[in-house]
Amino acid sequence: MASPAPEKSAFATTGRSRRGEPLVWLTAAGLAFGVAMALGLFLLILFKGTASFWPRRIDLMEVSQGAVIEKIAGYVTQETQRKDAEGVLHEEIQVFRGNKDLNGEAFKYLDRDSIKSTSRPESLLLVERLEYGPAIVTAEALQTPGGRIEATAAEFDSALEVILEDGRVARDKLLVIERKQIGAVSRELEALVRAERAGTVSAEIAAARRVELQVTFEKLQAAAAVIRAKLAGSSFTGVSADGREVVFPAANLLGVFAANRASFFERVGETFRRVGKFIREDPREANTEGGVFPAIFGTVIMTLVMSLFVTPFGVIAAIYLREYARQGMMVRVVRICVNNLAGVPSIVFGVFGLAFFVYFVGGGLDQWLFSDRLPTPTYGTPGILWASLTLALLTLPVVIVATEEALSAVPRGVREAALACGASKWQTIQRVVLPASLPGILTGVILAMARGAGEVAPLMLVGVVKLAPTLPIDSIAPFIHPERKFMHLGFHIYDLGFQSPDAEAAKPIVYATALLLIIVVVTLNLTAILIRNRLKKRFAVSSF
Amino acid sequence: MPELPRSPDPKRFEVSRATLWFDRFMGWAIRFGGISVIVAVFGIFYFIGKEVVPLFRSAHIEVAGKVAPGNKPAIIGVDEWGRMPFFYDGSSKVVFANTEGTEQREIEVPGLADVRVASYSYDTVHRRIALGLEDGRVGSFLVEYERKFDSDGKSTIEPSITPEPWFSLEKGVGPITAVSYGDSGAGRVIIAKRGTGVSSTVHVLRLAMKRGLVGKGKLSPLDEADITADLGAEATLVRASQNGALVLVACANGEVDYFLADSKGVSKRQSFKPFDGVAPRQMDFLFGGVSVVLTGSDGQQEQWSLFRPQEDGERLFGETQKFPDLGAGDVIFAASQRNRTFLTGAGRDLSIRHSTSGVVRWQGTLDIDPVIAVLDAKGENFIVAAADGQARRYAIHDPHPEANWTAFFGKVWYEGGAKPIYQWQSTGGSDDFEPKLSLIPLIFGSLKGTAYALLFSIPVALLAAVFSAAFLPLSVKRVVKPVMEIMSSLPSVVLGFLAGLWLAPILETRVPSVAVMALALPLTALLTGYCWCRLPIAFRNRFENGSEWMVVVPFVAFAGWIGWHVGPIIEGWFFVYKDVATGREIADFRLWWPQAVGIPFEQRNSLVLGFMMGFAVIPVIFTISEDALSNVPKSLTAAASALGANRWQVVWTVMLPVASSGIFSALMIGFGRAVGETMIMVMATGNTPVTDWNIFNGMRTLSANIAVELPEAPVGSTHYRTLFLGAVVLFGMTFVMNTIAEVLRQRLRERNKIV
Repeated sequence: MASPAPEKSAFATTGRSRRGEPLVWLTAAGLAFGVAMALGLFLLILFKGTASFWPRRIDLMEVSQGAVIEKIAGYVTQETQRKDAEGVLHEEIQVFRGNKDLNGEAFKYLDRDSIKSTSRPESLLLVERLEYGPAIVTAEALQTPGGRIEATAAEFDSALEVILEDGRVARDKLLVIERKQIGAVSRELEALVRAERAGTVSAEIAAARRVELQVTFEKLQAAAAVIRAKLAGSSFTGVSADGREVVFPAANLLGVFAANRASFFERVGETFRRVGKFIREDPREANTEGGVFPAIFGTVIMTLVMSLFVTPFGVIAAIYLREYARQGMMVRVVRICVNNLAGVPSIVFGVFGLAFFVYFVGGGLDQWLFSDRLPTPTYGTPGILWASLTLALLTLPVVIVATEEALSAVPRGVREAALACGASKWQTIQRVVLPASLPGILTGVILAMARGAGEVAPLMLVGVVKLAPTLPIDSIAPFIHPERKFMHLGFHIYDLGFQSPDAEAAKPIVYATALLLIIVVVTLNLTAILIRNRLKKRFAVSSF
Repeated sequence: MPELPRSPDPKRFEVSRATLWFDRFMGWAIRFGGISVIVAVFGIFYFIGKEVVPLFRSAHIEVAGKVAPGNKPAIIGVDEWGRMPFFYDGSSKVVFANTEGTEQREIEVPGLADVRVASYSYDTVHRRIALGLEDGRVGSFLVEYERKFDSDGKSTIEPSITPEPWFSLEKGVGPITAVSYGDSGAGRVIIAKRGTGVSSTVHVLRLAMKRGLVGKGKLSPLDEADITADLGAEATLVRASQNGALVLVACANGEVDYFLADSKGVSKRQSFKPFDGVAPRQMDFLFGGVSVVLTGSDGQQEQWSLFRPQEDGERLFGETQKFPDLGAGDVIFAASQRNRTFLTGAGRDLSIRHSTSGVVRWQGTLDIDPVIAVLDAKGENFIVAAADGQARRYAIHDPHPEANWTAFFGKVWYEGGAKPIYQWQSTGGSDDFEPKLSLIPLIFGSLKGTAYALLFSIPVALLAAVFSAAFLPLSVKRVVKPVMEIMSSLPSVVLGFLAGLWLAPILETRVPSVAVMALALPLTALLTGYCWCRLPIAFRNRFENGSEWMVVVPFVAFAGWIGWHVGPIIEGWFFVYKDVATGREIADFRLWWPQAVGIPFEQRNSLVLGFMMGFAVIPVIFTISEDALSNVPKSLTAAASALGANRWQVVWTVMLPVASSGIFSALMIGFGRAVGETMIMVMATGNTPVTDWNIFNGMRTLSANIAVELPEAPVGSTHYRTLFLGAVVLFGMTFVMNTIAEVLRQRLRERNKIV
């Protein structure tokens, strides 16, 4: 590299050619800054999102509170600086210590100077439970139907496993009874009331059926009570860092993780287990615990329904504009307008969706088909169908523009060859133009999906909710419920971060959700870009 | 050229009928589909517009019923459904007559059989008629309505009368010639004028409701004050506000005296002359009891409201609105019990006016000579009675009385304010809250957010675009551009969440660092360039041309790191807050800024917003302007190079001018993206509607306002439609910007083709 190649010597040395060189470097810094921003953001989300699953080691800190020494077990979640009233700088840490039932707050801010000593005793356990968020304790004993087992006993670990497993099984059974079977009973009761009002069922039959249903209901409740009673005998007792005893009934106990004893691989395993739970489970505790399954489901269904609407309409509109309409002033104006719609704020589409789909179309449908349920609206209220349609309209310009570009990239020669072979106009389009432009159309659809999946603002008006008790597709006839409200990953982020009663506790879930959403959107975008690059290459060869 | 004779196609070349038919069918289907999609897209204009148009319609009035109570009523009132008005003429009977004309009845008022009523007044809020008697007693009775449903679900309205205790005035002599009654629930005020002419006196009687252990409380007099000495001349009109908090007395010399009735008693606070020495013909409180409408002798009508002329001073009356003049004849006045509209008129000409905006909602001429009128509680009907015993019910259709151009885009003098202002406050806690629907603070907020976003984004995006288009090797560009494109598709909810919960707390304490970095980063880049081209060529040649953006990173990063840590030191030197109370000095920019500049510092501010919006706006501007710069014909740049221009000169003198319209259109589209951005604005700005350019506080933008308020706005209400109007404004702003950008881009494309 010592002898410079002549074509590499573009770095000028002297005189005039040096002028403006600092400005070139300024532009270079601009680009570097832009790219750094993009990458920095991805890395930040990636780091914070992943970190929210990683099981941290738990510190046992001795903190001096005035004259008293308090013991706090937890892990550091944030480090900040604070100026007090005198203007003196304090290094502060935010510690997650769990045990919300004991302390009221799961987090505590500590002055670094007040921490006298820190250690990591292996006995500290992170306990996951249904209520109050995680707890940090040391094991004391187990209460089983067979008697009390001290933490020092050899069979402690295996007995704990048994209790956890029992709890899991019982919870699953209870879910089936309470959600499915009792739900079915109450649905039938509702239907009975409606039928009675409509006059299709006589009062005597309804009353008789009601008695039957009541019996079924009581039986189911008795079955649930039996399962609960079986669990009632088992519990896990722990001692918090400040010496208070906590009893976790087996029904509430989700998992116990020895964070300080676990090896690296165990922690990785725990991470994956947490990711799995995050994706599979329903949210708990005002969405601050548990998973985001309904939000993932809602996002996916909404995006798919949206693309079902937007693809045919977008492609047809583009074919019309490019192949059928007479290319003149009119088409140019229309094209400008369609391009423009891509720049119209998404919230405006939401406003339109509310006025048109929800109140105009939905309200009309209710009057026409569901007048027996009025004034309770069926379709005349925000729901997943209206959200999908609104987003379909929002992403329509994306598909139209991409399809038009793909159509115009099909070389003229190919078309003419088809026509010369005697193909009709539609045959040319169907057999030659569309297949050639398919990757381009696909790019457009994928880009539309990426845009639709990440859009939140219009959804706030046309159907998204913070907690939907039911999914838009389930096993209850008619299986597909396009009128239902749904949860969405993007809205989940907004809701947890800004509307949650405990924003601090929700932060890990927010970062994890953000990571999930970004992975979805970036994957879709990358796919589109890859297809587009392939396409460019193909046309570069095939054009003649 | 003579046409050649066509030989008939052989059979096998003939197109099958099915193909032709299908071809034609698809042709029409696609035309239909295409046109309907385009129509649907334009349906957006229509459906949003449809919701907005009713805002600008004026009120509509029609006759809805006729009644003939038979007496010459001095007071009329009506139930809240506008169905059974009552008519009272100062006798011992109240006439009730339903407006369908099917039912009429009289109810005797207890205790009025053998006394003579000398004066009366009516309070529509409590439906209370106050009476002053010849013998110097004052008292009142309530008219009550009860709605009863029969088994068919049809409702009937059952009126009744509840008498209230009488009180004798201890001071003054003669009959009670004017009376008015105010009721705040616990305390009540009766103002009464005794006698006539110069010798008349005016008294304020305060009553207190003493609560018993069981049953209703007992009403007993608290004190009685003679306020005659405080008046400028003989009293002509006396009015107590419906909530009993204040008392107004109009005098013969044109003076109006304002008395405050509070726990300490009654005291005079102000006297003002609305019509220069001429006594007002009419004086009545509006809904809420803070504003009063006065009519002068020549028909001039004005509104005077209580507000604080000085910020920490007392609330005094001042003129806040002038209405169109009334004609000759007795003045009729009826205030709404729902909003700031009132029915007024003289002679047969009536009008409905909105006090805050001063707009006449409706005016018309009746076919009877009205002497008195009343508006029902819902503002859906008004009843007018004539001297000849005729009465009419008119249905009012005016769903949006407070909506007009001035309310949305002009300065409005709201009740209680010291001057006309732009304000957005759509909902409030109390019944008499008046929605303030100026879109100006929201439009300002949108523009402010956009301005700070662009202030940061434009330099970064344009610098990056120039480098990428002019200097970056193609292989690198193929990676860099998609990265930027993916950045543009990042969900804005993620950006907003990071701005609000991650960046805002970090930047809150680091403002000086940010300021230092904003200076240090570009200067370091320039300095690096200056030094670099003076390094030995042998060293520089180790780096490929176009890799400057990588080379500059360590220097700039180092400068950034220095800047970050120098910030607190700068803060210690310059931004020292002095605590007024203790004299202690604290180096803290957050405290220093409000003290030095006088405007607040908030955690979620425009600085945070501007930076985070960069993620949404930079890729848009970058991509479009990069395209414009890259598409500058090679022949031009090559020619410039051949003529001896160095690489920066090629960019500065050839590429930038040629691509300027493309760059301009990129800025326009960036503007459109920023103005309509919703989630970042909702989450990072604090959402307070402000109208200052302070970089350290937030704003409330049109888009955020729609997202936050529309789900809660009742369908079809003024608030709902105003939010739609906001959407129209937003739509209009972006549509205009985008169209300009699109036209510019098309022009540029054609110009480049020619070159």
